[in-house]
Amino acid sequence: MSLLTANNLSLAFGGVHAVDDVSFSVNKGEVFSIIGPNGAGKTTLFNLISRLYDTSAGSIHFNGQDISQVPTHRIAELGIARTFQNTELFEQETVLRNLLIGQHVHRRTNLLQEFLFLPSARQQELSFRKDVEDVIDLLDLQHYRHQVIANLPYGVRKMVEVARALCIKPSLLLLDEPSSGLNPEETEDLSFQIEDINQEVGTTIIMVEHDMNLVSRTSTRVMALADGKLVAVGSPAEIQQHPEVLKAYLGE
Amino acid sequence: MRFIKKTHYNQDIQLFKHRGQLFWYGALGVALLLFPLVLSEFYLGELSLVFIYAIAGIGLMLLTGYTGLVSLGHAAFLAIGAYTHAYLLAQGWPFPVSLICATLLSSLVGAIIGIPALRMTGIYLAVATLAFAIIVEQVLIHWVSVTGGFRGMAVELPSIGSLSLSDSIAFYFLCLFVLTCCLFLAMNLLRTSTGRAMTAIRDSEISAQSMGIHLAYTKTLAFGISAGFTGLAGSLLAHKIGYLAPDSFTLLTSIQLLLMVVVGGLGSLHGVIYGALFIGLLPQALALLRDTLPPVLAQIPGLEPGIFGLILVLVLIYEPQGIYGRWLKIRNYFEEFPLYRKATHKRQRSYLRTERLK
Repeated sequence: MSLLTANNLSLAFGGVHAVDDVSFSVNKGEVFSIIGPNGAGKTTLFNLISRLYDTSAGSIHFNGQDISQVPTHRIAELGIARTFQNTELFEQETVLRNLLIGQHVHRRTNLLQEFLFLPSARQQELSFRKDVEDVIDLLDLQHYRHQVIANLPYGVRKMVEVARALCIKPSLLLLDEPSSGLNPEETEDLSFQIEDINQEVGTTIIMVEHDMNLVSRTSTRVMALADGKLVAVGSPAEIQQHPEVLKAYLGE
Repeated sequence: MRFIKKTHYNQDIQLFKHRGQLFWYGALGVALLLFPLVLSEFYLGELSLVFIYAIAGIGLMLLTGYTGLVSLGHAAFLAIGAYTHAYLLAQGWPFPVSLICATLLSSLVGAIIGIPALRMTGIYLAVATLAFAIIVEQVLIHWVSVTGGFRGMAVELPSIGSLSLSDSIAFYFLCLFVLTCCLFLAMNLLRTSTGRAMTAIRDSEISAQSMGIHLAYTKTLAFGISAGFTGLAGSLLAHKIGYLAPDSFTLLTSIQLLLMVVVGGLGSLHGVIYGALFIGLLPQALALLRDTLPPVLAQIPGLEPGIFGLILVLVLIYEPQGIYGRWLKIRNYFEEFPLYRKATHKRQRSYLRTERLK
């Protein structure tokens, strides 16, 4: 059962074909990794799915709905959450408030209720807080709850960003190079956490990643891109042996 | 140091985090209520002005300090609030209704201004709001039938029913009451979704969008709310100055408002109060200082704005987080007394941010 389907997806910046006629589909419950050399179009593909870029051609279907015209802010509501390659957190805020912002899509109160902090607003805050606390427990962020992001080490920021994305309660989570900048232990932890998110929470994950070790440990399937074109899709072992993939990375 | 044992999420949500805070704010409240017994009319008037500045400052702080949108045109909203209120009072509307209508009208104008301003940030937005303020100033001059043009218009004395609010004690309490309400509303806003959406936009528009925050809606809302608070302050200011003329609301007023939130400390409601005290009381303090100086110094023209500017520059260089930021550091020093590390508040280099997409 496919959750996300991309059909002949293309994006060109002038003469540069960042993503060129790429089609793939991601099944419910999968961990789907995207690999490829620098400039292969991996992050661009993420930006297309999360609607930060408009597609030049082709379509993206999520849960059977065409999302290639949906406004950017509606993507989270539909159940797609993402992280960013170099972290894009709310720097001046505490971890807790960052995660609470992740709950924004579940807001049910109107402005008047919030201005007067009526009981409905308090109830909502309490339930948000409880859900946030579940995510904090899942990703072991208890120590950092009240710390301001600007003071946190890079590894923790990366986890906070994953946590914030999980607060949306997404059915599809896009992780953009989750292990970049992490040390080996943190990467090890990350692989368990990806497994937890995938299996315990039941979130489908698409991940852009360079660390092949992490990719082969966690992924169900891998897609290789090069120069914006799809090279191959298959199990991690297949992809590592694939002659076209080797060519893309190593040359002739 | 104080360690709070938390047993319920409510403890993170409530406005007063612990008994100590409750005690000190309570003490401040009692002091404010008792001031009329000990202070002269002049000082009560000055304090009322500080309260009015603070109300306008809450508005600008929500926009600039929390949503990250700079406005150089907030004097315009002050003017819209003031003139609307004065006009409606002159038409015989009751005081509270007129106050609320002035607030709502400023808010509406603010939201409308917010729409074209959506695509602009930083310096461009500042210039756009500046242009708006100039337009409003021109309207005030030329719409003679409503505003009285250059001649200006008198403001009727405030009263609710038969209760007159025009003497300095009653007006002091009126301003104090409105300020308290505004602070309460602003604090509530900031601890719920809309307030968080505003701070999210300030820190990263890209990820705010990915978190499902509607940028255009939230920015327009921020403009509307901000203008509403400032308009409310404007209508109180109308009573304070008693006679409205276009030159009461110039670019200088806008800059003063902006300075107030910057000097007080961007991104905190405490900062608004400190900033209002600074802007409201410093000119008076400087005037008093001038009396004590030797005549050679005291006769220098433009001494007050000069010292005013100097203090400002010093604050911006040495304490970019404003008076409130400095206060936090001092408090931190005493809380951790023998263990205080100087580097705690050192600004760190921020990590690479995702390249801007739009």
